[in-house]
Amino acid sequence: MNKYILSRRTVVNDLATFYSFLIGLFIAVCIGSVILLVQDQNPSNVFSLMLKLSVGSINSLSSSLNKAIPLILAGLGISIMNSVKLWNIGAEGQIFLGAIAVNLIYINTAISNPTLYIIVLLISGFIGGSICILIPAITKVVFGVNEIITTLLTNYIIIGLTIYLVNGPWKDPKSLNFPAAAYVGEEVYLPTVFGRLSTGFFVCVLFTFGAYYLKEKSVFGYEMRIAGGSAMTAVYAGINAKQKAFFAMLIGGGFAGLAGAIELLSQTHRVSIGISQGFGYTAIIVAAITGMRPIGIFLVGCLFGALTIGGAVIQTIGVSSYIADIIQASTLIGALVAQFFFTYQIKEVEDG
Amino acid sequence: MTEKLLEAKNISKSFGKIQALDNVNFHLYKGKIHGLLGENGAGKSSLMNVLSGIYQPEKGSITFKGERQKKLNPELAAKLGIGMVHQEFRLIENFTIKDNLTLSKANIYINDFEDAYKKYSEIFSLSINHDSIISDLSVGEKQKIEIMKLIFNNNSIMLLDEPTAVLTPQETNQLKNSLETLSKEDEKTIVFITHKLKEIKEFTETIFVMKNGQMVAEDLKTESVKDKELITLMMGEISTSVVKKNNKKGSVKLEVENITLNSDIGGFNNLVDVSLNIKSGEILGVAGVSGNGQVELANIIAGIQTNFGGNVTIKGEDVSEKGVKARKKLNLSYIPENRLGVGLAPGVSILDNSVVREYFSASYGPHLSKNKMVNYLNLLIKEFSIKTGEPKAEISTLSGGNMQKLLMGRELISNPEVIIAAQPTRGLDVSAVEALHDLIVNQRNKGSAIMLISEDLDELFKLSDRLIVIYEGRIIKEFDIDDANTNNVGLAMAGVIE
Amino acid sequence: MVDIQLMGLLNATLQAATLLFIAALGELITEKSGILNLGVEGMISIGAVTAFMTAINTQNLFLSILVGVLSASIFSSIHAFVTVILKQDQTVSGLILTILGLALSSLLGKKYVGKKLMVKIESIRDIAEPSNVFEVLLNQNFIFYLAILLMITTSFILKKTMFGRRLEAVGEDSRASDSMGLKINKTQFIATCVGGAFAGLSGVYLTLSYVPFWTDNMTSGRGWICLALVIFGGWKPYRTALGALLFGFLEALVPRLQTYGFELSPYLVKITPYLITIIVLVVLTIYKEGKTGAPGNIGRPFFRENR
Repeated sequence: MNKYILSRRTVVNDLATFYSFLIGLFIAVCIGSVILLVQDQNPSNVFSLMLKLSVGSINSLSSSLNKAIPLILAGLGISIMNSVKLWNIGAEGQIFLGAIAVNLIYINTAISNPTLYIIVLLISGFIGGSICILIPAITKVVFGVNEIITTLLTNYIIIGLTIYLVNGPWKDPKSLNFPAAAYVGEEVYLPTVFGRLSTGFFVCVLFTFGAYYLKEKSVFGYEMRIAGGSAMTAVYAGINAKQKAFFAMLIGGGFAGLAGAIELLSQTHRVSIGISQGFGYTAIIVAAITGMRPIGIFLVGCLFGALTIGGAVIQTIGVSSYIADIIQASTLIGALVAQFFFTYQIKEVEDG
Repeated sequence: MTEKLLEAKNISKSFGKIQALDNVNFHLYKGKIHGLLGENGAGKSSLMNVLSGIYQPEKGSITFKGERQKKLNPELAAKLGIGMVHQEFRLIENFTIKDNLTLSKANIYINDFEDAYKKYSEIFSLSINHDSIISDLSVGEKQKIEIMKLIFNNNSIMLLDEPTAVLTPQETNQLKNSLETLSKEDEKTIVFITHKLKEIKEFTETIFVMKNGQMVAEDLKTESVKDKELITLMMGEISTSVVKKNNKKGSVKLEVENITLNSDIGGFNNLVDVSLNIKSGEILGVAGVSGNGQVELANIIAGIQTNFGGNVTIKGEDVSEKGVKARKKLNLSYIPENRLGVGLAPGVSILDNSVVREYFSASYGPHLSKNKMVNYLNLLIKEFSIKTGEPKAEISTLSGGNMQKLLMGRELISNPEVIIAAQPTRGLDVSAVEALHDLIVNQRNKGSAIMLISEDLDELFKLSDRLIVIYEGRIIKEFDIDDANTNNVGLAMAGVIE
Repeated sequence: MVDIQLMGLLNATLQAATLLFIAALGELITEKSGILNLGVEGMISIGAVTAFMTAINTQNLFLSILVGVLSASIFSSIHAFVTVILKQDQTVSGLILTILGLALSSLLGKKYVGKKLMVKIESIRDIAEPSNVFEVLLNQNFIFYLAILLMITTSFILKKTMFGRRLEAVGEDSRASDSMGLKINKTQFIATCVGGAFAGLSGVYLTLSYVPFWTDNMTSGRGWICLALVIFGGWKPYRTALGALLFGFLEALVPRLQTYGFELSPYLVKITPYLITIIVLVVLTIYKEGKTGAPGNIGRPFFRENR
């Protein structure tokens, strides 16, 4: 016999995902340190600087949380779609279309009550995100076309559309060097509280609980779980699996669209290619690392927001901001490796 | 006897908390047909999986031709000439027969494939071109290819796991002749696994018996061993009960008229003009080799399969155009053949799976009450003595018997008036089977109309009041239970009507 | 004049198609073994940047190509390790490879942005304005011909050799293949690394020939198109090549549209390949009734003792 054998654990520790995340983060920090050392930087200096500049003051902490908003919202959207075992690689495009929808409505309407106006615009963003995933949703549900590819391709279509809009019909003549649409009026800016923290963060908290309720506590969530577990069981139970998948996709897209709306109304204040800097992709890491749990997505989203801010500010001392991306991706790889040891065990063979 | 070709000692293997093999000893003699008898779940397949290198045991030793094999894996097993035919076939469905027979590196007929294929086609009475795609073959034909695969890969030891489970009695007979030829002419060492007493006596020369993961008897001479002894070894002292057929029948609860289903592929699974009715308090047995339309018929009655011709009437109401939920409202329950995958959703918790039939009754509008769900699960656990772990644990952490009890309990607890039960006891041990049979009979006595689809003739004879045989989508024959026996039902299952 | 324009279009088509095709062919081989690798974009980037760096520093073309191919292949072994050995989710792992590959290549290439390449993979014969098909073909470099060779070889190996049949068997049904004594882990691991090497060659072609400089994210989504191409091609090398030609044609057409007198916004034309991919995917899925030719086991981790 082999000396050691591999077998699958029947009982997996409840906190396995959490421990895996911690182990992953540790591995990622190690990898990051090695990269910094190779670049002749002192890792502990860089990391403490990152920490200081991302959570060390009210202003930096609130910036970090602002950065977390799109990661969390898009991550929640991804996790809702994952309930029916579908992948949303198109959050990036949905974020852009959410922002575009906000601008479109803003240009063409005028509502005197600013609170109401902001709410209308946020809803527009949500709908924009849903529209963005409409084609992948229809082709998936009706024809069974692989959603990974279609949601991904829509990213490039929507980003292309954005570039077209900000260079063509929406181009702001005042913005000379950087193609962008005109700024929205200050009346629809999301107000800030506690330093720079946008009220969008509270929308985000609200939607985290919303997603949690939808996934874990509602009939719709139950039906999604069964449909995701086995399409045949869904048919057997009289659950319309395709309908659940369709709505899960629209809602998932909507969450990312909302992220775009908040980003526009609280950060960039105008449509440009800078609406998202890969938030839609990072959100996939955030969602996967937490095992698709809404509360976990919220927490990891906050951490990754801080990492992104930290990564951005250390550029000033000549360290590439990509170090943050690398740490985020390595955390997930490390977590996957750790997850393996939680789901399998290696046993020693007795000689008999 | 001749010397031992292969010897396994003190083999132990566990899956989580389930001890599949417990210090098992086993050995094989060259050129003989060995019988391995035992109930479902006794550990027969696990032992064979160890010998073919698929499962790594936690303890024990395997010796082949006097040499200790320390690193047995499928590749090495292939080199040593140990091959296995699994219950679920290991053929590549989209590939041709020829590809499947020649892919292994151990293949010996690479150059004279044509001649060898012709020779063994005759031994197995197979008349199919080797360019045919596996997925186009019937189950019986696939099995012949599986066994031929072992021959082509030069396996001197052939482990056959329940090879007769999918065959008609006539095909079984044919298999017996082929195996005898292989053992005599090619000196193949064969292990024939079954839980059927009759077959073990007919097929084999020496018998091993397993029970609850242990080897309880080794090397019994087939000629001299008594039936009664084997039964006691295999099952312990549990006596199988006899079901009284003095049940009162009431009005017709389920009526099926002229059901016709055209499938676009193959043409084997079509249903042609199927009509039947079941009364309150009656069990109608449906016999047939799997793949002859039973699943489709059950799915049509349960509302899962749509686009069929004909009518389904439950308690006088025509539900042909209606869906699953309308039938549930009329109190129909369906226990599907595919336990995990249809009846229960894999990857989903025990709790979620326990309310699949009535989850809407645990809801307040869009809110799903976890309390109600937990209460419902606890009720099932109590009523049907199900052994479960944490409610939020994944469903497949349950044993097969407990999974089936959960499924049946869930479907029976609301006292359904019409029950469709497909293969309700397949793959379960004797005590679980007895418990499930009691549930079915109990439900019959309460006045349910029950359709029992099974491939196990003993089960059908024991429980049914009437019996129909389905062959290539038609009801080929109907029996009163007193007139039915293995011979006439078996022939009808093969499509032969006297 | 029209001829020269047309030949220019053909020339650009072949170049764009070569870039797409090699990586797509690699992904096809990986997927045939049952492993889905969504990290093509990242692998191409790694190949592109390492080849470029080596070329700048050593000016040795052969070494640069070797480094590009090998580093992408080693990079792809992360995916092989995580999915084959550790049996983790292939979608997640592949995505990480893309994100990590893009970040890592940007980090590595930071000092090389804007640097001028002194060596470049030369065409068989450099013709500024080819005027016939023959001249267009002469104007390609050896990687173009290598791509054709790889296409023919891959197709032959998959269809006609035992080696290829076994690879395909593993991807179709790993359990059945395992019981035939085929080595599942080894096959899948190697197929993933071969896929990585092919993507690396695409990257080499990108920075040492197609656009001989380095900027961040210069793969600009081509890796994803490669994944679409495999589906478009129904997991068959020749049809995948046909798809690559179609996409190469569209990519080449965009900047030329205005010279042909079309008054379309170039920004909108740029998104047509993506639109067309979606349309083709839909049409193909409907036409084949869901049987797209995908390997039966794709995306599913294999553990021998699974019951």
